[in-house]
Amino acid sequence: MPTTLKDEAAIVGIGQTEFSKNSGRSELQLACEATAAAIKDAGLTPDDIDGMTTFTMDTSDEIEVARAVGIKDLTFFSRTPHGGGAAIGVMHQAVMAVATGSANYVVVYRSLNGRSGARYSEGVSGGPTTSDLIHWSWYMPSGLMTPASWVAMFTQRYMFETGCTSLDLAEICMAQREHAVNNPNAFFYQRPMTLEDHQTARKIVDPLRLYDCCQETDGGTACIVTTPERARDLDCGGAALIRSVAQGAGAEQESMTSFYRPTISSLPEMDLVAKQNWEISGLTPDDIDCAVIYDAFSSIVLWQLESFGFCKPGEAKDFIKDGALRLGGRLPSNTHGGQLSEAYIHGMNGVNEGVRLIRGTSSNQPAKNGHVLVTAGVGIPTSAMILGQLD
Amino acid sequence: MGLQGKEREAFEKTLEPYVGIEIGIKEIGRDEINQAMIRHWCEALDNELPIYTDAEAAADSMHGEIVAPPTMLQAWILPGMEMATGEPDPNDKQKELHRLFDDVGYTGVVATNTEQEYNRYLKLGDRVKAVTVIETISEQKATGLGIGYFINTKTTFTDQNDEVVGSMTFRVLKFEPSQQPAAAPTDDSGAPAKPTRIRPALAHDNQWWWEGVQADKFLIQRCEDCGVLRHPPRPMCGECQSIRWDSVEATGQGEVYSYVVIHYPEVPGYEYPLAVAVVDLEEPGLRFVTNVVDCDPEDVHIGMKVEAEVREMDPDFKMVVFKPIA
Amino acid sequence: MSSVQYAETNVGDALPEQKIEVTSSLIVGGALASQDFTPVHHDRGAAQASGMQDVFMNILTTNGLCERFVTDWAGSDAQVRKVAIKLGTPNTPGETMTMTGTVLERNDADKTVVVELAGKNTWGNHVTGTITLALP
Ligand SMILES: [Zn+2]
Repeated sequence: MPTTLKDEAAIVGIGQTEFSKNSGRSELQLACEATAAAIKDAGLTPDDIDGMTTFTMDTSDEIEVARAVGIKDLTFFSRTPHGGGAAIGVMHQAVMAVATGSANYVVVYRSLNGRSGARYSEGVSGGPTTSDLIHWSWYMPSGLMTPASWVAMFTQRYMFETGCTSLDLAEICMAQREHAVNNPNAFFYQRPMTLEDHQTARKIVDPLRLYDCCQETDGGTACIVTTPERARDLDCGGAALIRSVAQGAGAEQESMTSFYRPTISSLPEMDLVAKQNWEISGLTPDDIDCAVIYDAFSSIVLWQLESFGFCKPGEAKDFIKDGALRLGGRLPSNTHGGQLSEAYIHGMNGVNEGVRLIRGTSSNQPAKNGHVLVTAGVGIPTSAMILGQLD
Repeated sequence: MGLQGKEREAFEKTLEPYVGIEIGIKEIGRDEINQAMIRHWCEALDNELPIYTDAEAAADSMHGEIVAPPTMLQAWILPGMEMATGEPDPNDKQKELHRLFDDVGYTGVVATNTEQEYNRYLKLGDRVKAVTVIETISEQKATGLGIGYFINTKTTFTDQNDEVVGSMTFRVLKFEPSQQPAAAPTDDSGAPAKPTRIRPALAHDNQWWWEGVQADKFLIQRCEDCGVLRHPPRPMCGECQSIRWDSVEATGQGEVYSYVVIHYPEVPGYEYPLAVAVVDLEEPGLRFVTNVVDCDPEDVHIGMKVEAEVREMDPDFKMVVFKPIA
Repeated sequence: MSSVQYAETNVGDALPEQKIEVTSSLIVGGALASQDFTPVHHDRGAAQASGMQDVFMNILTTNGLCERFVTDWAGSDAQVRKVAIKLGTPNTPGETMTMTGTVLERNDADKTVVVELAGKNTWGNHVTGTITLALP
């Protein structure tokens, strides 16, 4: 039995639907299509799958997906809470399941009609009286009820303390747009953006403007996790070894509104996730060649660069200034265009991009791809993993 | 969720013949531009600009004579009472097009944009006619109202000498209503109630605090055992795990620690742009999320000194808000 | 009546705010004055059958009120060249529509200004848009 999660699992298949503003079908169908595609990409059949995991926010039950896809006996199923923070949390679940033998092949899936169905931009309200609703009740009466408004609150303070400006956020958006322009799956495929476009776009929640905010997307993605030993025997599209994976929630954690900590210009929960990933993998920031950094909003990319030690606290704007996030830069990131420019599938489209980077099949493939960092949502209990090559 | 796949392709094929054609109904002004209709319009809309009704003032103006208000342009060709009682014109291609949409479930229709350009002001005695062309039909779009298509029409207005006096583009959305529209809340008289802020959900752990606000008190929860203050309230003290607590009134003095100005989306019941701040309270280690009132949202800044007030923000609903200290 | 001169204007100038009481009389009067007899603009029963609470303002009236808002500021010698509006929440009796506007652009070549305006009721913006005016 393993004592850490180092090198205990690999991603052997990825699948996804098209990304659109109007899928025209149910979230369940999107989940099924993505799952079936991932199984096929792994060189498996539905019979092989015995574990399933997704987000608590997903509307498609494991057993419904299983039944529709033709998956039979399940020995492991679970869910991970906290929105986009779950993006690698679900991977953590899958890795633990295969490492402990609870399951052999775990499907991780997520689908949403994020534009044509329920839109997160419309904010939180109503629902049963849970501790979560009581939490939101401290903010809804003031009108602070959308993800953009919560993230803008942290962004404003971060800008005040570090001197970061909207122009620094624009560099993140433009780097990612440059990537999306080459990615046929991206919403902004072949649609470049200028600095002026970014700076003159309407304000959503000052200091965030339109292009600082992610897409609202319909679509589904899935991937298959198994042990490295089984991965070596598969005729799959290429395996990405999971060098480490971890979750974290910090002191005085709230969901998106941790405004009561001594400082709100850093991410204690992501610091905790980073620390574990370095400890488990034995790697350092210098070993990471490229990254998929969760980007529901542009500013959150900066804080994660600091959490993972690519630069010192408060210095992310200097780190990215000379194109570090672009191809040929120190850390080519969000090479699919990210959630700002490809699609917003709650971070799970980033997991698939992470696998493509390891396989060498990204639309914007960097020369070096030994190790890829993939992170999940920010401002909430969250998670991250490091992918590497399977020998 | 709109038509998909082959069905959608087949439907969109049936739309193609409509793009670029005239809608085919007669749009001829039944009367010359005349003082009576102008006066009627100006009275209804309370438009007191003298150039429309005062011959003397108009003569002295740059126009030199009475002119019609430019936004009346379309009024000169609308058919009036016939719109309420008349049979639909069988030649009306626009209606025919709308029926195609109705038949496949895109029954909703809403005008979203209009644009008018005026080449010259119309004068008494002018006579206008118009021709309307269906300019474009968009691809299928997801909108706030539902899945649908935007139809653009362009109307060109000419005068008795066939000179173009103005034009109008009109954009309507034909959509599949995404769900039954929720009945708007009504008050006792049956009139629609004014929208209000979203109220907090109340339960054991927070109800006492909101009741305090309704009684004009800004309270802070305090551990009865170790005396630590905490906000937002929680059922247990994180320092000593005591579940015994009481409360004290806050001093209400503070300083803006961070803030945002919300522009989008505009939720009914709130005024936008809307300033929301995290305020460092005078009580050490405590912060409070609040609206900053009585100042321009653009003037809110980090470090701004503010003080609390319990204010009735909606009928029967008080909140703790902060305002600048003069 | 004095008119605003082009030379006196600056980008960012705010127009005097107007509060327009939306009454049945205004809605019905505006609809009939514009020859728009579509029943939803004058017949409460027809409006309710269409899912609305009451009669609601037609587009010509909205256009006319936007024009009035701008020319009340600019005066008799201003010429309206273009009105481009986007429609939002309906105007029904009992609402108050607050009109605000600012000078968005100035074009020296033809002495025109573009005014950006919004008419807002309790449910949000009833109308937003721009009006282009030539000034003396
Ligand atoms: Zn205590």
